[in-house]
Amino acid sequence: MKPPVFDYATPASLAEATDLLVRHAGDAKVLSGGQSLVPLLNMRLARPALLVDLARIADLDGVRADADGVAIGAMTRQRTVELSSEVRARHPLLHAGLQLIAHPQNRNQGTVGGSLAHADPAAELPALALALDATFDAVGPGGTRRIAAADFFLTYLTTALEAAEILTAVRFPMLPARTGWSIQEVARRHGDFALAGVVAIVGLAPAGAIASARLVLFGVGATPIRAAAAEALLVGGPADAASFGRAGARAAGDLEEPLTDVHASADYRRDLARVLVGRALAEAATRARGA
Amino acid sequence: MTAPEKRLPGSVAELPNSAPRYVGRPIDRVEDPALLTGRTQFIDDVVLPRMLHCAILRSPHAHARIASIDTREAEKLPGVVAVVTGEDAKRWSNPVMTVPPGWGTHCLATEKARFVGEPVAAVAAASRYVAEDALELIAVEYEPLPAVADARKALELGSPLVFEENGDNVMLRKLFTWGDIDGAFAGAVHVVQREFRWNRLGANPLETFGVVSQWDELAGTLTCRGSFQAQHHFAMARAMVFNLPLNRVRFISHPHGGSFGGKGGARGTDITALLSRKAGGRPVKWIEDRMEYLAGGASQAWDRHYDAALALDAGGKVLGFRVRLLDDLGATAEGWGAVSAAKPLTSFTGCYAIAAAQYDLTIVATNKLPGSPYRGMGPPPHNWVLEQLMDLAARELALDPAEIRRRNFIAPDAFPYTIASGNEYDSGDYAAALDAALAMGDYPALRAEQARLRAEGRYLGIGLVNTIEPGVFDWNAYAIVGQPGTGVPEGATVGIDLFGKLTIKVGFALEGQGQYTVAAQVLADWFTVDIADVRVIALDTLSAPPHFGPGGSRLGVALTGAVLGAAQRLTEKLVAVAAGLFRTPPEHVELRDGRIGVKGRPEASMPFQEVAQTMLARSDLLPPGVDPNPEATYVWTAPGRTPADDQGRAKSYLTAANACHLVLVEIDVETAQVHIKKYWIADDCGTRLNPANVEGQTQGGVAQGVGAALLEEAVYDEDGQLRTSTFMDYLLPTIYEVPMTEKRALCTPSPFTPLGAKGCGEGAMHTTPGAILCAINDALVPLGLELREVPASPQRLWTLLRQAKR
Amino acid sequence: MTKEPNDVTITRRISMTVNGERHEADVEPRTTLVDFLRGTLGLTGTHVGCEHGVCGACTVLWNGKAVRSCIMLAVQADGAELKTVEGLADGATLHPIQQAFLEKHGLQCGFCTPGFMLSIYELLGRTSAPTEEEILDTLGGHLCRCTGYQSIVEAAHLAVEKMRTR
Repeated sequence: MKPPVFDYATPASLAEATDLLVRHAGDAKVLSGGQSLVPLLNMRLARPALLVDLARIADLDGVRADADGVAIGAMTRQRTVELSSEVRARHPLLHAGLQLIAHPQNRNQGTVGGSLAHADPAAELPALALALDATFDAVGPGGTRRIAAADFFLTYLTTALEAAEILTAVRFPMLPARTGWSIQEVARRHGDFALAGVVAIVGLAPAGAIASARLVLFGVGATPIRAAAAEALLVGGPADAASFGRAGARAAGDLEEPLTDVHASADYRRDLARVLVGRALAEAATRARGA
Repeated sequence: MTAPEKRLPGSVAELPNSAPRYVGRPIDRVEDPALLTGRTQFIDDVVLPRMLHCAILRSPHAHARIASIDTREAEKLPGVVAVVTGEDAKRWSNPVMTVPPGWGTHCLATEKARFVGEPVAAVAAASRYVAEDALELIAVEYEPLPAVADARKALELGSPLVFEENGDNVMLRKLFTWGDIDGAFAGAVHVVQREFRWNRLGANPLETFGVVSQWDELAGTLTCRGSFQAQHHFAMARAMVFNLPLNRVRFISHPHGGSFGGKGGARGTDITALLSRKAGGRPVKWIEDRMEYLAGGASQAWDRHYDAALALDAGGKVLGFRVRLLDDLGATAEGWGAVSAAKPLTSFTGCYAIAAAQYDLTIVATNKLPGSPYRGMGPPPHNWVLEQLMDLAARELALDPAEIRRRNFIAPDAFPYTIASGNEYDSGDYAAALDAALAMGDYPALRAEQARLRAEGRYLGIGLVNTIEPGVFDWNAYAIVGQPGTGVPEGATVGIDLFGKLTIKVGFALEGQGQYTVAAQVLADWFTVDIADVRVIALDTLSAPPHFGPGGSRLGVALTGAVLGAAQRLTEKLVAVAAGLFRTPPEHVELRDGRIGVKGRPEASMPFQEVAQTMLARSDLLPPGVDPNPEATYVWTAPGRTPADDQGRAKSYLTAANACHLVLVEIDVETAQVHIKKYWIADDCGTRLNPANVEGQTQGGVAQGVGAALLEEAVYDEDGQLRTSTFMDYLLPTIYEVPMTEKRALCTPSPFTPLGAKGCGEGAMHTTPGAILCAINDALVPLGLELREVPASPQRLWTLLRQAKR
Repeated sequence: MTKEPNDVTITRRISMTVNGERHEADVEPRTTLVDFLRGTLGLTGTHVGCEHGVCGACTVLWNGKAVRSCIMLAVQADGAELKTVEGLADGATLHPIQQAFLEKHGLQCGFCTPGFMLSIYELLGRTSAPTEEEILDTLGGHLCRCTGYQSIVEAAHLAVEKMRTR
């Protein structure tokens, strides 16, 4: 289990990095934390001719929270965001989601941008990004652009980033007032990729009815999946177990064939999604009542 | 020539020491400072001059004829020194011996590959990186053959044959009948019969296997350094593989990062030997990587289909126990996995007095990885089957699970007790362990809590399982699968140096159980010295006294016997010298509290060290005819062992430890997850030489049992492709899954062993899987469901729970 | 390490400080950090258990943070400050974490132990009073096949005590 031969570059600027990616089109791969890439190299399942390590580029590392949200440089270690007292205080959902990523030893090295650009459909950060309407800043040969989360995750391990484009930052908006949140997942062991998971954000009207709902499922499709029809079912209705159960059934029913692997069948994953949606909504509504 | 050997001390009180400081205490381990500072030399830390690194090309097919192998491009790669294939293996080595015989191959596939991961070619190069580069340049032309990956299909007429020359895939088929089994079932009021499925799992020590082999063509020798669990056993097999006299084969075992029976490494050792030979005698290192271990190493055991039944009378007394086992050993019998089908004979009927039993055993070959030993060596699945049937019988008879067990226990005054399958249990008090576990967990309160939460829609389950842990293995236990021999020698040499310090030389390397500490404890208390004055050293196969090493819950007892025996012999030498110095007959001289002197005359004594110094440096004072060597060797082997009869019956394992586990689980019936909430263990393994070591063995066994019950499974698809080839898919339990357990120690000393200790390395692994699975099934009772396949993965449980909802 | 001709070799010059000692070497970019530490620097106390970032045996401190050195390239550690198990003890005096493992029998084969200890080292550097959840989170990233973890948890708690009263 030793990586094949490759060359390695540490560009000092984004311009230099994109230039390298353009010049080695198709043969180069961006390295950020390496928590997904290096195992694939060790197994010789990834065989780039060149690794472009972003670690030496200034200004890609940092987390800043303000009233609007949390802005995170792409090379910021997941652990840095998790341990940020500001994030913990002002964005408890983001904090909770980060704690579910693998183990601290992975989060110390793994980056926020790396996880989002890798786009594993069972990962927590892409689901959080979709649930929170995060925005992605990217730099490419044609300049910079901002991509909405809804447009970012295309399919399994594939994003809207062009081959020579580099994710530079992500911005997670704050939760709206009077909303509650929940992130729930079932994994074989603590820290494993989720067999199924759900992010729920629920807003309540003063009278207690559901004013807004956001549901994103992960681990049950080729990308994180927004359960829009289930959200629509919820809005205007009571925040009770029956509503949550209906939403769960709808969200699960709307899934296209989830993955079947050695740990879980498509049907089991679908059923987990149903159960977890109900539980996540209940927890989110409870939090919303206290918000 | 010599007088009969003196009996070894049967208890701590018999040591020549008024106040033993070490035996029986949880003292710090002598092996730890080096381990904690990273200084212990594991095999991958070894670097030899001109050493090359090996990488192995493995079959991607479960079954394929090898049409051709072209290694020319690989040989041209700079840094590559040697490449070997099956042709080299055929030229320079023999197929490996197997149990049962006739199901082995060369270390590299010759005409065909029989499982995914089977070695096909290998490279020795300047680095492992370059060696792996070279593998990509080897072109192998395979002609895929139909594969069989299911034991039941392997028995069908027309199944693909793993070894064509053997005519079918049956490695062994035999029916063992003990007592009047037909009468027992004919006369039964209740018969409880079920099928069970135990899927493959295995040892997965954190350190995989590694070896550095060096072939010296001129001297005709093979020298191997490696993480060998049983170095002498390994050396013998290599001597046969390479047609070398045993004294031309030298094995040097390094400390290893766990083994649990599943260290393996025979093929890798043979391959590196071939590579070294081809590379002109340069040493060749191979460190198995984790994916190699999972696909091609000693990582899989116990792939079993059971059909078993209990016959009971109206009062819940078990009259007979019938087991039909179809055991899938995989592609060959090279891994000693068949032994696991034999070992259940040592404790077939568990803690119970059951007069009649039957074992209908079939071992088959399939196109999967050859099975290996794993901690427990076969009884863990067997124990689950027996204990689960006891629970089912209790339900049928409306008895509490504790009560039905109590009614069938072997009585404490019945020992030594010979069970139906022939082994003799040395001692025990099974009701005492049961009572201790029930008391610790407050069993009535647990049942009340279970009922209360059931009313709230929650599914709690209580598992109560008691087992025997046969200790101190003997080859005779494996006679039924073709293993020869009775007795397993373990030797130690004890010496005193000129400065008065003690050394114990043994034939096994560190593996984790703390055996060097046990050896040092025993010797320090024998001579009444500080434990820091004792050093334990591992010798290689040619310099150590006869030895086997760890395995089959034996080493603590065997090593204690060896050290005590050597200490006793050494003491006799010291006594002979001192008798001369004191001008007294030797029978009037003794060792007591570290001094050798005349009995009853404390003033006529001297420190034992001075006697040794006299032997080494004052020959002028020595009485004529005494042996001036203050060193002695003793080879311990279990007393009273008998060869197996035609039904496999033998006095085999010397000791019978006993444990009772009580566990509370909760099933989330919506997500199909199992949570272990509480866990209690009452455990009786006789005298505890180092209670902290025992506790570590127990808790470690619990963790592996949790893995077996809930997580670990080597999954093959029907074409024989392995689907769990990494630690992302083969799931070892983490701290989140393993319960912290409350333990209570009981002590019924063994009347047969030195100091009364019993084997204790495997007991929790014998018990935990059954305890958790029985608890799960207890939780499922209100739903009318039974889970009879291991592990209880969420997928499996979810599928079952859906049946209830329909 | 034996050096034999290999025309595909690409190397980079890197430097790093390991246990307070500065090292410079030419490495192939594909060399993993753990292979560099063990093979080039001879620091064999860091062990390799899975080479795909699951087991934690190879854990070292990288700029004070516990990381898995089997899924980090040596070139990524260029300029970094590293600590390995060899850097824990002070001469013949065990570090309190090592002493705690010794006293609680927190190890059996000892292969996984250096990784566990370095993760605990990071934790106790950040807080002198970790919560139970923080201890679990820290230990949860490591596999031990021998101990069943109970004695490791006890060792971690004892290490907290020892560090506090040091």
